[in-house]
Amino acid sequence: MRAIGSSLPRGDAVGKVVGATPYSGDLSMPGMLHAVTLFARRPHARILALDLGEAGRVPGVVCILTAADVPHNRFGLNVPDQPVLCGPGDDEHASRVRFVGDKVAVVVAETVEAAERARALIRVEYEALPVVPNPVAARQTGAPVLHAAHPDNVLLHYRVRKGDTLAGFAQADVVVEGEYSVGGQEHAFLQPEAGLAWLDEEGRVAVACAGQWAHEEQEQIAHALRLPDERVRVIHPAIGGAFGGREDISVQIVLALAAQKTGRPVKMVWTREESIIGHHKRHPMTYRCRTGATRDGRLVAAEVELVSDCGAYASTSTKVLGNATIMAVGPYDIPHVSIDAYTVYTNNVPSGAFRGFGAPQSHFAAESQMNKLAAALGMDPVELRLKNALRDGSLQVTQAPMPAGVSMDHVIEQCAESIGWRRTAQGWQRPAAAQPDSPWLRRGIGFAAAFKNIGFSFGYREHCWATVEIHGGGDIDRVVVRCAGSDVGQGAHLAFQQIAAEALGIEAEKVEIVSADTATTPGSSGSASASRMTFMAGNAIRGAAEKALAMWRDEEDRPVIATYEFNPPATTPMDDMGRSTPNFTYGYVAEAVEAEIDTETGEVRVRRVVCADDVGRAVNPQQVTGQIEGAVVQAQGWATIENFVQRDGLVLTPHLSTYLIPTVRDIPDRVDSIIVEVPDPLGPFGARGMAEMPFIPFAPALTAALHDATGVWFDHLPLTPVRVLETLDEQA
Amino acid sequence: MAEQGVPVTLTVNGREVRTSVPPYLLLVDFLRDTLGLTGTKVGCETGQCGACTILVDGISAKSCAMLAAQADGHQVTTVEGMAQGSAMTPLQAAFWDKHAVQCGYCTPGLLASMTDLLQRNPDPNAAEIRRWMDGNICRCGVYQNVVRAVRQVAEQAPGGGGE
Ligand code: FES
Ligand code: FES
Repeated sequence: MRAIGSSLPRGDAVGKVVGATPYSGDLSMPGMLHAVTLFARRPHARILALDLGEAGRVPGVVCILTAADVPHNRFGLNVPDQPVLCGPGDDEHASRVRFVGDKVAVVVAETVEAAERARALIRVEYEALPVVPNPVAARQTGAPVLHAAHPDNVLLHYRVRKGDTLAGFAQADVVVEGEYSVGGQEHAFLQPEAGLAWLDEEGRVAVACAGQWAHEEQEQIAHALRLPDERVRVIHPAIGGAFGGREDISVQIVLALAAQKTGRPVKMVWTREESIIGHHKRHPMTYRCRTGATRDGRLVAAEVELVSDCGAYASTSTKVLGNATIMAVGPYDIPHVSIDAYTVYTNNVPSGAFRGFGAPQSHFAAESQMNKLAAALGMDPVELRLKNALRDGSLQVTQAPMPAGVSMDHVIEQCAESIGWRRTAQGWQRPAAAQPDSPWLRRGIGFAAAFKNIGFSFGYREHCWATVEIHGGGDIDRVVVRCAGSDVGQGAHLAFQQIAAEALGIEAEKVEIVSADTATTPGSSGSASASRMTFMAGNAIRGAAEKALAMWRDEEDRPVIATYEFNPPATTPMDDMGRSTPNFTYGYVAEAVEAEIDTETGEVRVRRVVCADDVGRAVNPQQVTGQIEGAVVQAQGWATIENFVQRDGLVLTPHLSTYLIPTVRDIPDRVDSIIVEVPDPLGPFGARGMAEMPFIPFAPALTAALHDATGVWFDHLPLTPVRVLETLDEQA
Repeated sequence: MAEQGVPVTLTVNGREVRTSVPPYLLLVDFLRDTLGLTGTKVGCETGQCGACTILVDGISAKSCAMLAAQADGHQVTTVEGMAQGSAMTPLQAAFWDKHAVQCGYCTPGLLASMTDLLQRNPDPNAAEIRRWMDGNICRCGVYQNVVRAVRQVAEQAPGGGGE
């Protein structure tokens, strides 16, 4: 019997299809109060005064929380640089609002209507400050300083020097230069932020919300409220999508504070518009690249300068920058590399985690360079990639060898063959796209590859905790797995169940998962991000299951309970030359896109996508395919129609009517998922993480297809019809 | 607020509801907050996402784009009223079986749209299914599995699978 590798349906889906599963916004409690947030709605200003008088007199208002009520008015996932609430007073840092979604007050009332009425009556006196609209403006001399600790507004600069690029470029027969820019992206998880907080039976402040990392949220709430961690409890009911967008705190801290102040349950639900201005986005980035190769297609040198718009607060910008840095030349072995990467504070909505975490941006630049280089060399783009792909033992840009289990060449070959690339005596050869009769429609086929870390990087003490209880007498009747890892919709809990069943040699139905409540899963599992959950929790659960099974065989006592903490090999931060062991493992993916462009309207239609993703071992093939199809649709949105527009710090696309995300009409006609299984030596039963991979190479594969169709390079995303037409005109 | 409201009588999931509602109350808020039927979701409040889709007299409708008062005299079915007793409908079972659910937040709305489609056409082809899904956004991107689920229902229906 094999639990792993079978496409079991999801247990949680039953409650979801009959409408019985509550999400955080569906919860209510007797005596519950309602809270609404007053957002600053201006990008940069000092708060001079706050008048709550009239608002406080609205019948039904119980309290209005302001900066003065927050015991420790700072939070942030990596750098605590964000005030929980901004307001006037001695705290200079908190007296300024730095983006439209900064929060000024939270009104708590008997009804939503009363809270909204009172919010409209709060009077805030602002002094407008000059706005820093983008990283270029932020780095100019005399630009307003957004955070005192960073007088040049540069939050972080990474510098990588591998080999000697001067010597490298001297060996190059062909050098390709390119400039690229990519836009931000709104997560638009379908369930906007919502939560309910109350004082539980043990007097803890409990917060039920949609998040990605219960223990981290617990820590951040405790930090802001100046409570010991164990006085705070975080529960994740069903979560309506996340994609990185729930890594940062949204409603959690203020709800906890409101419950603590009032002693009553307090609920808050953000509107879509509040969600869009209130939480972080994918980083907009710009790139300047030079890549050199010898005539026979050997990469010899690369130089990259990249700048990311951090927005108003750090969020995870430093980590995203690290990823973008080590992936800035793509999955290739290049002896001489120089990279300078900057993340810069502005008055935009903060940038942070989003599926791919810096990898899609850097691969767009790196893979576009590869496609241009192939054209300049007159070489097939698959051929060029295979000549240079990272292999076991290749040195990364950080000068550390790749961890074992590199499958980049294998994945590239599988993908290329599936869409019709041919191996000939002269090497690989691209298939020609069949052209439609209408002359204004052109079709092309493009290719790109990518790699991405699994798990946290650069010296973070990565770990994951799990407990396995085995119940029964002679035979195993029932197994309880405790693991805090959040199921944000990706199906992590089913994967946990299948891995536990496999390790114990029992049917998956016998395994129950207890999760996502810091009160019942005391150890942290880390975030449902970085494609790490199956890998990390899988290893922790497997370890605990094997330990429990040994006890089950050796001991009389029933039930048996074993706890295990999985610690992967250590990583290290980059030094001033960028030297480090950044990661303990990677995932590998390649994509081929067949697209059609309407040269009269600028519309781009994706006809077919072939995605070959090395998942190590498919724990549940159906779920893997679902992740591939879903990631491709999101990537297509980012590359084409999703246009997150900010002007002078204002969000011009704050609704789903102005920020368009793909509907069924936009998606590819066909997606072929090729599940590659080259076991990861460190993975649970060989499994690698995978949920981000299929997103990463899509955009450069698409622009390669458009080049194949038109002979024009598209170097700036998103490819809105207007931009497509302009680019066609410019290069015509 | 009942005293200042509009009197309404409607059937929700087969049960008659007689009450009065504020004239501005949205149907989705009435269902979720007044009746506690939280299976119907809110994703945008502005008619784009389709998470709030329900059946009104068997026809799919966005409940954030309707006032509660407009439901007077009509039959409303939400996701909670689809299953017969504890058994899932064939469509619900197919969503489960075909992994047409990731986070599940779009699911109640998609079920309403697809139920409406199957009532009109018990054997829709993939293109027709896609056309009927146009009003429902799924950010997890389960669109293709929804097509597979609806095709499974069509094929398993008596006399179905003719396509
Ligand atoms: S909530 Fe009704 S369409 Fe989005
Ligand atoms: S399953 Fe998440 S929005 Fe559709």
